[in-house]
Amino acid sequence: MSRHQRSRRSPLRSRRLAAPPLRFFLPLTVLMTLLALMVLRGMANNEVFHDERTAVSVDKGTVPPGVLQGGPVVDARGDRNDRPVSYSIPEKTVVLTFDDGPSATWTPKILKVLADEGVRADFFVTGSMTTRNPELIRRIVAGGHEIGLHTFTHPDLALQTSTRLTWELGETQLALAGVAGIHTTLFRPPYSSTVDALDDWSWPVTKEVGADGYLVSFIDKDTDDWKRPGVDAIVKAAMPDLPGQGEMVLMHDAGGNRSQTLTALPLIIKKLKAEGYAFKTIGEALGTGPANTRVDGYDLWAGKAFLWCTSFAVHLMPWLVVLLAVVGTLVFLRFALMLVLSVMHVRRTRKRGFTWGDPVTEPVTVVVPAYNEQECITNTLLSLARSEHPIEVIVVDDGSTDDTAAIVEELDLPMVRLIRQPNSGKPAALDTGVAAASYDLVVMMDGDTVFEPSTVGELVQPFADPRIGAVAGNAKVGNRDTLIGAWQHIEYVMGFNLDRRMYDVLGCMPTIPGAVGGFRRSALEQVGGMSDDTLAEDTDVTMALHRGGWKIVYAEKARAWTEAPGSLRQLWSQRYRWSYGTMQAMWKHRHAVLERGAAGHFGRVGLPFVAVFMVLTPLLAPAIDVAMLYGVIFVDPYATLAAWFGVMALQAVFAAWSFHLDGEKYWHLITLPVQQVVYRVLMYMVLLQSWITALTGGRLRWQKLRRTGEVGLDVTMGEMPS
Amino acid sequence: MSTAEPVRAGFTVDSDTMALRALPGTMVTASGLVLPVEPDPAPAEPVTRKPGRDRYLDLLRAMALVRVVIYHNFSWTWLPLVFPSMGVMFALAGSLMARSLSRPAFGVIRSRLRRLLPPLWMFGAVVVPAMILDGWGPDYDGHPNWWWGHLAFWILPVSTPPFADHLGGFGGHLPATWAEQIVVPLWYLRAYLWFMVLSPLLLKAVRRTPWVTLVLPLVLSAVLNSGLVDQSGRIMETVTDFTTFGACWILGMAYHEGVFRRIPAYVAPSIAPLLLAVGFWWLQQAPVDQPRIGPDIEAVPLAQAIWSFGSVLLLLHLSPSWEKWPRRLERFNGVVSLLNSRAVTVYLWHALALVLTEPLIEPLWDNAFFYTHLRWLLTSQWFPLIVAVPLIVLALLLFGWVEDVAAKRRPRLFPYPRRPKGQRRK
Repeated sequence: MSRHQRSRRSPLRSRRLAAPPLRFFLPLTVLMTLLALMVLRGMANNEVFHDERTAVSVDKGTVPPGVLQGGPVVDARGDRNDRPVSYSIPEKTVVLTFDDGPSATWTPKILKVLADEGVRADFFVTGSMTTRNPELIRRIVAGGHEIGLHTFTHPDLALQTSTRLTWELGETQLALAGVAGIHTTLFRPPYSSTVDALDDWSWPVTKEVGADGYLVSFIDKDTDDWKRPGVDAIVKAAMPDLPGQGEMVLMHDAGGNRSQTLTALPLIIKKLKAEGYAFKTIGEALGTGPANTRVDGYDLWAGKAFLWCTSFAVHLMPWLVVLLAVVGTLVFLRFALMLVLSVMHVRRTRKRGFTWGDPVTEPVTVVVPAYNEQECITNTLLSLARSEHPIEVIVVDDGSTDDTAAIVEELDLPMVRLIRQPNSGKPAALDTGVAAASYDLVVMMDGDTVFEPSTVGELVQPFADPRIGAVAGNAKVGNRDTLIGAWQHIEYVMGFNLDRRMYDVLGCMPTIPGAVGGFRRSALEQVGGMSDDTLAEDTDVTMALHRGGWKIVYAEKARAWTEAPGSLRQLWSQRYRWSYGTMQAMWKHRHAVLERGAAGHFGRVGLPFVAVFMVLTPLLAPAIDVAMLYGVIFVDPYATLAAWFGVMALQAVFAAWSFHLDGEKYWHLITLPVQQVVYRVLMYMVLLQSWITALTGGRLRWQKLRRTGEVGLDVTMGEMPS
Repeated sequence: MSTAEPVRAGFTVDSDTMALRALPGTMVTASGLVLPVEPDPAPAEPVTRKPGRDRYLDLLRAMALVRVVIYHNFSWTWLPLVFPSMGVMFALAGSLMARSLSRPAFGVIRSRLRRLLPPLWMFGAVVVPAMILDGWGPDYDGHPNWWWGHLAFWILPVSTPPFADHLGGFGGHLPATWAEQIVVPLWYLRAYLWFMVLSPLLLKAVRRTPWVTLVLPLVLSAVLNSGLVDQSGRIMETVTDFTTFGACWILGMAYHEGVFRRIPAYVAPSIAPLLLAVGFWWLQQAPVDQPRIGPDIEAVPLAQAIWSFGSVLLLLHLSPSWEKWPRRLERFNGVVSLLNSRAVTVYLWHALALVLTEPLIEPLWDNAFFYTHLRWLLTSQWFPLIVAVPLIVLALLLFGWVEDVAAKRRPRLFPYPRRPKGQRRK
């Protein structure tokens, strides 16, 4: 990732920046859709908003005494909201109610028992079970039973806001409309019991639900069947206290093993029948008419759409999870590999007596392409003047419109030569510089970069090995005291000390940073110099050198101080250029995969590596972030954040290791958590943007470009929708 | 080498950073990368601000005021999280206090008191007789001597001025707790008074050990709210508020003293989100009174202290120092200026305005037209706010001049600036 920014600013680039912010809109839409799908799936699996806390108040002063002593059905609808009315189940009548269902295992069996006995009952269903078992809802309705709401996620509503309450009921109605085309006016609060158990916290819920138009159904007899107390206990608990007394009986058809319920049910029915009881639904028992009404039009289709989306999400998510698991594993493997290989690299290059060969003392040409660098060029040249290694400097003024050239002339440093050329792009400027070079070793740097006195010397030492064609230096962020600067500082240090060491050991360095790179002129000439085929000419030429059979290594002591972009906008455009340029370069050199020898090694190790970790997995990383968002907001914030901090701690360890390798102070790591949140997301968005560009026409233009081989890509890029 | 001289002058190498530009002041910066200009290295003496109002601070203060009014109307628990008004107010006040304390401390405190107290006396001159008319008096809670003694807090609010928690409500026109609702803002004046009086000490501490001084109120707040300390009583009430917002006040002072210019710019925005996360977590795990409404940060002092500190840290870090309004905000110049020159009046009287909306709206229910066609308006929570705004303006007209008199300015009826666009007369 870490490469130096090029500060060239052509008019075309600003035009590209002025394009509509599709780069935010598209990725955000994709991610929000993903989040929505996750939420839908989580709702169906009762993972979203899952809340098992229950609230019990000791006070019941606000509950009307008439309700506390009244029947199990409380009517607080409309005008009755202030003076609720209680209904009791008539004499010799029993209403069987089943909560928490429907479940695929038990509900069909219970339905069969009820059908065999010719009994109709009430099912208080949750929305999540409804979306998971739509067919069962349809069977319940077809059997003449009544459906009531039991919320979507089964929380204790006394702990939830009014908004949540409205959402719970509305969403469940939506699901019911979707699966069976009905709405219901019956409601039973989760964790509720008999009316005398109402208290100051649960009563407001009852009132509010009543105000929303629901008949709230509590119970008379709790069989406690979910505790699995034994069939006899369940049967006994379902029997009336007084002979002939009407009763509403609570049982459960979901939420665990319901075999005892299933066994007890026919016994209860037979015993009560023997006592002369009639079995009715709530609507029949109270004479209030059917509680379930058919819906059509918008409500029906909204419900169906909800259900389709949910089942789509339910089927899609497992695949996504597998994909993310694979990516996660790969990323962790890469971490491990980086750790091992960086240790190997450090051991090798820092071993006492390690040399690349005989000391390289021959003079070096430093090429500085400069386009409107008037603020920085002085420092750049003055830093070169202090070089301990003998150098000549060639400043190629690429048609600057500011005072760059004048400043260079005015400085009048003895070893500096100025070449002016009309604006023709950075690759051309570099080629001009290389062509004018007096020496065989060429160092390329940017016009806004500052070298240390030893940088050039350290950078060219590896050329003692004749197989080495190019050397990557160590670019450091100079303006690291700002927030964005500190983020990039962390990124650079990690990129140079972990990634680059790993690539060095693997022999497939994908990029020599434009800020500090050394080249053998013969190698450059062999691959045809710099090319403007891609937006990332440094990656392009590095890959070309690999294919030409040259070795490329990393010289950690060759430090170059560079000015990183100071605003998010500049950072965005820089990274967009890099990331799109890398994709272009990979495409350009894709045939390396099938080549022999060194080129084949790069094609089969380096290219896939870069493809997987710089182009493919980052594409899925936002999905991981979205999953985290989903976990924090909708599921369990503490567990999710714990996992997140775990990964963060790992990152911190690696960052600290790389800071240690570079001898940096650790203070900047304090910004790592914020960096991980903001910066990483930004990088993924950039990559997504590059993909969008590549997929919406970039490829076509590429091929055209490759055919003519002359048109600068910038020209075609200007027309691209991005 | 002939270049040796400019080299030494031009750039320096050190292990931490390296100057990338020759001379930031002299170089043309017409185009190209904007390098955030580093502020001058820590000056020994406090940096004197540029003359004229900083519009950013004005905007913050106005937002804080508006936020308080809205919060007291709606009781939205998320609002103090979005904008922690009290922390912002205290931080701004702390910063101004540090600025004033370049003059002798005694005089500064005296002039601050002179500006703070008359508006309070005006408020008391209306509210105390009203409470007495409605049945409050020496025998209200059975301790006549204490009652008379506590009245002194209406003169100098070193502790919260006394009020009646249950009254007749003028024959039922007002809620029985009207006095309690009206005096809600007074704690701020009490806390402000203490911060102000202790400021010379705090400033010395900030100059000597800035980081310890900054963190100390948070630590004290954690100790006080650990459950080990009995927080009841007038003294503990004052101490709790002091520790809750002390960090914000001191933060304001520290910013003025340039403490944060001595550390790299990335530190504050990196730490602030972590602080916010801790504060939010503490809020979430605190026991709640009303589970259906959820946690209220105003009721959890430690969460309030940490959250406010984190937010203020961010807001002050952003602090762009607007000499002139940004174009988009120009249109708010009038309101912001008005609110700033009448801040104490708005703050003191807004609760009364909100209480008075109830007897004003109540009769509308009997109006047939309102009942049949506008019941949505009568039941809306926005309606009291809409009614309260003219009442607050009325309070500005009636009592605002006291602020001018207290500040030894020519009293003005309604200081809405005549010149728009934030231009100042030179």
